[in-house]
Parts: sequence; C-alpha cells; structure tokens
Amino acid sequence: MNKITVHCTVNHKPVSVEIEPNKRLLDMLRVNLGLTSVKEGCSEGECGACTVIYNGEPVTSCCILAGQAEGADIITLEGVSVDGKPDVVQQAFIESGAIQCGFCIPGMILTAEALLMKNPHPTMEQIKEAMSGNLCRCTGYKKIEEAVALAASRM
Amino acid sequence: MSKYAVLNTEFPKVDALERALGTAKYAADYFMPNMLYSGVFRSTVPHAYVKKLNLDKARALPGVAAVLDYTAIPGKNRFGIIVKDEPCLVDDKIRRYGDALAVVAAETQELVDEALELIEVEYEELTPVKSFEEAMAPGAPIVHGQTNVHAKKHLEFGNVDEAWDKCDVIVENTYSTHILSHMFIEPDAGLAYLDEQGVMNVIASTQNPHYDRNEVAAMLGIPMNRVRVKQATTGGGFGGKLDIGVQLHVALLAWHTRRPVKMVRSRTESTMVSSKRHPITMKCRTGATRDGKLVAVDVVMTCDAGAYGSYGPAVIGRAPVHIVGPYECPNVRCDAVFAYTNNPMCGAFRGFGVPQAAVCHEGQMNALAKALNMDPIELRLRNAHKVGTVIPTGQTLTESVGFTDTLLKAREKALEVMPEAMARLKTE
Repeated sequence: MNKITVHCTVNHKPVSVEIEPNKRLLDMLRVNLGLTSVKEGCSEGECGACTVIYNGEPVTSCCILAGQAEGADIITLEGVSVDGKPDVVQQAFIESGAIQCGFCIPGMILTAEALLMKNPHPTMEQIKEAMSGNLCRCTGYKKIEEAVALAASRM
Repeated sequence: MSKYAVLNTEFPKVDALERALGTAKYAADYFMPNMLYSGVFRSTVPHAYVKKLNLDKARALPGVAAVLDYTAIPGKNRFGIIVKDEPCLVDDKIRRYGDALAVVAAETQELVDEALELIEVEYEELTPVKSFEEAMAPGAPIVHGQTNVHAKKHLEFGNVDEAWDKCDVIVENTYSTHILSHMFIEPDAGLAYLDEQGVMNVIASTQNPHYDRNEVAAMLGIPMNRVRVKQATTGGGFGGKLDIGVQLHVALLAWHTRRPVKMVRSRTESTMVSSKRHPITMKCRTGATRDGKLVAVDVVMTCDAGAYGSYGPAVIGRAPVHIVGPYECPNVRCDAVFAYTNNPMCGAFRGFGVPQAAVCHEGQMNALAKALNMDPIELRLRNAHKVGTVIPTGQTLTESVGFTDTLLKAREKALEVMPEAMARLKTE
C-alpha cells in the first residue's frame, strides 16, 4: 500500500507522518508518534477513551482516518501537562479521587480541557453534558464531575 | 484529627499522577523491536468436533511467522483457575462459540487478520446445551467428562423442616439474575518475549500474574522459574481479568517464533471470550413470626455456569452462605447446583455470587414486609445482624457489625432526599 504524508500540528509542534492511508488518527498518534496516552477501548466511537482535542473540539480519534487530519491542530494528554507536571485539570482529577484504573482518564481530561477552553465556568449540568461521551467503568462519574468543577473553580 | 494514621484521612491514589499524565503503560502500550502481532482463530459454533483444520494457506501468506494449533503446545493443554478444564487451543472438542482453535503471528496486524481469513475449518456439530434445564435433562449431551454437574453445595443450619410450624407467615418466590459482562474499559492485551537468559516474559493486562505464571509454565512444559509475568497497568477487571486472557497465546507464539509477540483483543473478542457473571435462579421459601422475626429460609439455587469452570467453585461456595444476607435466621437451608452448558463461561465478578444472593434475600424481605403489612426498613432492623449473631456457617459475629447503623443512616438520608418514595413505603 502506498503511504501518504500527513502534515498537522500535534501538541503544539508541526509534524509530518508517512502512513498507510487505511490507518486511523488513533493509530498515527499511538504507533507512529508514540503518544500512547491515547487509548483504544471500543474502536467505534462509543467509549471516548481515544478522545483527542481536534481543532478545539473533543473527538474520538478511532473514527477519523489519519489522512483527514491534514492541517489539523491536535492535542493529546501529553500536550496538556507542562514539563511533566500536571496542569490544573490533571491536578483536580488526582485530588478528587477521580482516577481509578485510569484507562478512560486521558479521554476524560481532554474532554474537560476542551469544555473549559470554551466555557471556563460551566454549571454542573453543562459539565455532565460535556462529559457524557466518555465512559468510565470504575468511578461512577461523580468524582469525575467533581474534578471538572474543582478545576473550573481554580481557573 | 483522626486517632488513626490512615483511617478517616485522605491520600492521593499512589499511582494517580502517572495515570493523570498519561504516562502509565497499559499492556497495549508496550512495543518492542522485531515484534510480531498476533490473533486467534475462533470457533463459530458452540458445540462440535473439529473434522478438519486447514492452516496451510495461512502459513503460506508472506509475512506470517507462525500459525499454530494444539499440536504445537509443548506442555499441558489444560488450564483454569480452579478446575483445569479449558484448552489453550481446542484438541478434543469445541465447547462454546469463540473457543480458540489456532493462533497466528505476523509482521503486521493486517497480515494477522488476512491469515485468519485463510484458515479453513470443518465442524461435526453436536447438539448444544443451552440452559441449566437442558443440561440436567435425561440424555442431555455432556459438555465435559461424565456429567453436566459442574459443582454442588449444600448448606444446612438449624432445622428448616421443623421450623415451618413456628411461622405465622410464609412467602415463596423465585428470583433469576442474568448473565452480565464486566465490560472493563481496556480490552485484554499482552506481550510475550524470551529474554537473553531464555526466560519467557509475559507483560499483560491481568488481575492474576502469579496464577498466569503457573499456567504459562505448565503450557510450555518448563519450570516456573523460567517464566516471568509482569502485570501492566490494568484498565479495569472487576474479576474478568482473573481468568487468563491472551497470556498463553502470546507465550506459545513467542516460544515458537523466538520473537516478541503482542496481542490486543478487539472489544468484540474481549466481550465474547472473557468470563461473565453467573446467572443464578433462586427458588426461595421464607417464614417469619407475626412480629417480623425470620424463622426459616429454604432455597434451591441453580445456575447455567457456561462452558468452563473458572471461578464457579468459589461462587457456589459463597452465594449459599450469603443467602439470608445481613439478617439473623436460626434455620437456613440452601441446595445449589451449577451446570456446564455451551454458553459463555461464567467466572469471578465483583462479589462472587453474593450480589445474586442479595436479589433473593432483599426481594424476600420486601415480600415479607408486604405480607406482614410492616415498614420494610423496620422489618430489616428487627432482623439485622448484631454482635453475638450466629450466621448460617455457625460463626458468631464478635465485632465490627455495622449493618444497623448503616441502615439507620440510609433511612435518614432517604427521608431527606426522597421523602415521597419513603412515604410510599409505608402505604404500599
């Protein structure tokens, strides 16, 4: 299969990636760029574990072909922390006890980041609605919602 | 300040930071140089002999490093957490939809998928056993060995038969719980490689690395000190990753190819072959006095445990013991039978059968409250375990019995947040 070259911005840096055209954005990020914080849970856009911030919006990277990402601005969890230190949302997740097995957490945090970029002071209802596309099987969501609210209160 | 150093104090979860940063490595996040990808060819029928398995076309595909069936297993082809009844790769017969028949390792995941498509199988189908009733019927096809009875338990406490005369009210009901998937968010995954000392290393998403080591060593026919299993950061299990997942298959492929082999199950495959919660049917007779004290509980418990034993022997040990829940009852009997069928395998799932038992004892408490025209919470308080209670195993509870306090707190909270529903409790 002839490879294509995808040019985009990943975690604030321009990248160009040679990749088979049948690969997904998820594969490009995990395999080609080694950004393994992006998780694959269901492969069909249901669980939200592979969420990345894509041109400012939280999207499931399993449902986007790598080639579609030409020119896109993409942020993964690796691009959120600052010099290996947690940012305000990550810190709030830690303090709130929102993290158990952790597999859904990259997607959760990125969805929260995307929400707070647009709406720094969301209501609890807005938080619940924004987070509704991300499944967690451990926590029962309450502490995740509290973590987002805590992060918002510190912004 | 708490008088304890740990209790009632808050600590950040010990590994929360790496999970928040995204640097924690789950099994699928491991990559090695020269690594092969792999997959499993699975049965599409629930009960059958394999007449023919043609691996030649898959083996001939360029880029395929190995296609193996059970004949490639150097050691023991039976594993299982309590009963060794499950094959690594099917040798005698298929016992469920999704049984593993062959494994493939290749240079890319696409080549693995292509090779799996090239494997040809011919089945000689057998009548599948689809329920507990079918498993117990005379002349039923036998799933394993000589009988479809997988496990039996009998619990006897006091004298149930003599107790019915002392009851003012008796309620009888049958409760059935359904099969349930853990749906852990991380599909099963693992990677195996032989290191320079010839030790088989397996990195996996697992809840049971020490058991995994025994199984891998037995399957390869090597001593345990030649196998090392490392639990990767694991994305949920809830009991579903106590049974071995991809570990045997990657170890077998790494053994033959002498290269690192990685396997990541799809959500579909993970859901199809991982264990499930036991669906239990409980036929229950409960007797009490006019003032709401339990006198006798008699339960017949049956279960379709699926194709393999897994944690069934542990679940059948616990569900009967908890059949009256946190309530005092001087006469208790429970007869439990778990059967093998050709349905998905049932195993450990948060509580080992105790949540199923709760459906029965709580249902009976509500039914009893209704029959006695009594507040259901009051009925529970009258029967609640306390210090000094003798439970159906014969054990006397001597400390740390918090049920009454918990129930009182729950009632207080319920009156606060759901007053209408609580008022209905009184009138229904």
